Amino acid sequence: MTAGGGPSDAEAIAQVLAGDVEAFGVLITRYENGLLRFATRMLGSRDAAADAVAEGLVRAYRHLATCRDPARFRTWVYRIVANRCKSHLARRPIGDVSLDDVPPVAAPEDAGEGLERSEQLERLERALARLAPEKREAFVLKHLDGMSYEEMSVVTGARIPTLKMRVHRAREALLAALKESP
Amino acid sequence: MIHDLDPRIHGALDGELDRAALTPDERALVERLDAAARALSGTPVVPGLSRRVMGIIRRPLASPVARFRRWLTSPQPVTLSLRPVYSLVIVALAVVLWRGPVPAPMLGAHEGVAQFVARFPEAHSVAVVGAFNDWRPEATPLADDDHDGVWDARVILPAGQHEYMFVVDGERWVSDPLAGRYVDDGFGRQNAVLVVRPVRSE
Repeated sequence: MTAGGGPSDAEAIAQVLAGDVEAFGVLITRYENGLLRFATRMLGSRDAAADAVAEGLVRAYRHLATCRDPARFRTWVYRIVANRCKSHLARRPIGDVSLDDVPPVAAPEDAGEGLERSEQLERLERALARLAPEKREAFVLKHLDGMSYEEMSVVTGARIPTLKMRVHRAREALLAALKESP
Repeated sequence: MIHDLDPRIHGALDGELDRAALTPDERALVERLDAAARALSGTPVVPGLSRRVMGIIRRPLASPVARFRRWLTSPQPVTLSLRPVYSLVIVALAVVLWRGPVPAPMLGAHEGVAQFVARFPEAHSVAVVGAFNDWRPEATPLADDDHDGVWDARVILPAGQHEYMFVVDGERWVSDPLAGRYVDDGFGRQNAVLVVRPVRSE
């Protein structure tokens, strides 16, 4: 059982593998928000992100038996969705993310501290979208999803020093974007 | 302009350095990045995503054969990554191997091009026959590509006078009604006469 009272990831996976398809809904509910936020930041489009997350979750369900460590389902499913995002990006005619179709994302209540939502947030979103996908991915996993470098390494397949360098460069780019603020 | 941040700031953001050890300026930068991350961490709302995924996984999976068939018949993206040097080699090979358009047949000094045109709206096939093809109906068929009933063919012939007839549907021999000259074929019919002029004069 988890702190929230529901079955743990490993328990839910065991139920699904025993034939209880509905138990997969527990895992979807638990991770869909994080996955959607990650995919939206990666793809710059809510619709494309929804497609990538839906494809990733279906793929995770179909291959659930290959999840070697059910207790680490989170990094496993993030890896699948991250790969779906890369496929979506590879199909685009240009490599970078356009923010033209990004809907306004509901910011948390306390985000106003030191940052005005609006121009500054837009500036941040554009700076994030301009980053190379691997730097954007590292920053989002680290700072938006709160993963450790070890978890990020499982998700991305990259080495920890490489990931640190990507996060550092992303931070510097975002700070530079904030400094450009009027 | 992107500047390298002090490693202490990265250390604090990575949880490897106590923030209390930072100077006020360093702490301000860390807090700025924290605030930026919080501002970016809003979650988009996509209603029905869970229902959509559950709807897909509740459906029985198509058989491997059906999935393979669908894969075969649906468009697949193909990405080709090539080093520029290889593209140059391929272009160079293409230039070397390309022989250009198939050259038109060269006309001899005593040859010309005869164009046979006839209108037979009901015909299924039309051919031209003459001494130049031993009066064989299968040798020189006319074409009606746009199905407007007008048949034509261009044939290289020796310069001079040629007698000819059209053969419609393989059995009906017809004199060309548009020919300017005719000669008796000795069997009670008129052969049309065509004069071919040499394209190149010596």
